[in-house]
Amino acid sequence: MLIINGGTDDAGHEDPGHPERPERLAAVMKGIEDLQLGDDLLAVAPYAASRSELARVHESTYLDQLGAFCFEGGGDLDEDTYATYDSWALAQHAAGAGLAVVKELRIRGEGTGFVAVRPPGHHALRDRAMGFCLLNNIAVAAAELTSLGERVLIIDWDVHHGNGTQAIFWNDPNVLYVSTHQWPLFPGSGAPYEVGGLEALDTTVNLPMPPGATGDVMRQALEETAAPVIDHFKPTWVLVSAGFDAHRADPMADLALSSGDFARLATFAASFAPRPGRVALFLEGGYDLAALRASVSASLGALLGSSATTEDPTNGGPGADTVRTTRDARQAALRIAHDTSH
Amino acid sequence: MKPIHTIAVGFDGSEDAKTAVRWALTLATHCDAQVVVAHAVGLLERFDAKNVAVELEESLLRLCDESGLEHSRAQLEIEDGDACSVMLRMADPPISADLLVVGTRGQGAHAGLLLGSTSLELAEHSTIPLVIVPRASTTEQSQMA
Ligand SMILES: [Zn+2]
Repeated sequence: MLIINGGTDDAGHEDPGHPERPERLAAVMKGIEDLQLGDDLLAVAPYAASRSELARVHESTYLDQLGAFCFEGGGDLDEDTYATYDSWALAQHAAGAGLAVVKELRIRGEGTGFVAVRPPGHHALRDRAMGFCLLNNIAVAAAELTSLGERVLIIDWDVHHGNGTQAIFWNDPNVLYVSTHQWPLFPGSGAPYEVGGLEALDTTVNLPMPPGATGDVMRQALEETAAPVIDHFKPTWVLVSAGFDAHRADPMADLALSSGDFARLATFAASFAPRPGRVALFLEGGYDLAALRASVSASLGALLGSSATTEDPTNGGPGADTVRTTRDARQAALRIAHDTSH
Repeated sequence: MKPIHTIAVGFDGSEDAKTAVRWALTLATHCDAQVVVAHAVGLLERFDAKNVAVELEESLLRLCDESGLEHSRAQLEIEDGDACSVMLRMADPPISADLLVVGTRGQGAHAGLLLGSTSLELAEHSTIPLVIVPRASTTEQSQMA
């Protein structure tokens, strides 16, 4: 069963000509329709995250300022990021959608969650909007789960590093953040030597990929470098920052994945859930509408056992050598950090 | 106090950023320093696939001439990232800047808000001295030169 929230009423968050646009969500919903789930699709009621739920990961002053900025009509928050009059309410609902999906999964103890929302969230910092993101949707959900005693794995396969999520959980030993991303690229963070704060060493895993990298290299990096860390961490929940801008057709970056690669990534992520009903995907980027539709369909289809055909997984791109250098850099950083802390 | 060998200044092409660059170039003529003019490539700039390098380079050479700094002592550094993280990286090797310089409004700050203000964010996180050059300082810097 697919449990979704979002997918509607996002039209008010729009800036003409901006690539983070309402048509993205329409493409995502088509990708879900393509799976023809029938009764296996459950849409949960919209929910706006409360002030206290947001305040777990955002500064109060930031929430006040963002709300006021929107109510005054909005505008540009930085060179990339906009907000409109409606954005505050929509961002609250985007953050709330993750909470609602997680709650439904907890009640049912089965199914796969999908949070089909915009604006996206993984660049949003505690005190700052950034990179098209206003509130950090996945962080709000992860913080809710850790408050219930859960250990949360966040896998972020968006082509950009989720600097906001990493920073929010930098010193939190109950959240393991694993990111694959093109590097160097916006936002500039995500180096392999970023391994978590002194109170949470080895709970951040960054796997940078060179331009042109294909799915095989990404899987190799995840399997060889991230999987042992995840096994050791023993997550009780798996949340995915599912951006689809690493697709080869995406205009925002230069990785070379296909929709079939996203199916494999989804399967990899879900394999770490200790039992059914513990996996939720959160929409982040993805700006080529056809690739977005196909990739949503492929990744959710893989988790739901759909037999729908996807593009073949890709291989042969550059970056195999970076898998080892990344692992070496991580290990060196961990050694230095351990020496410092003792 | 550590001598200033390398000054890193943020440059997005805006008038406010030009004011900051002029100030940094002028300071360099007084303390025999090199200037790294850093430009951050954000999401939209990459999406638009605008090649701003030539434009920024020309602009920088003009500003060097105005400030009387030899061209060889100023270099343009274009990096993917948000303005704040790119500036913070200037303090690390290989640039290892001794001083960061930014304008007040360019480089990401909009609408007179605290939200997204690169200058304030830098002030909070920089491990090396930071100068925020106010818009009104144009006349002061020309006197200094
Ligand atoms: Zn992205």
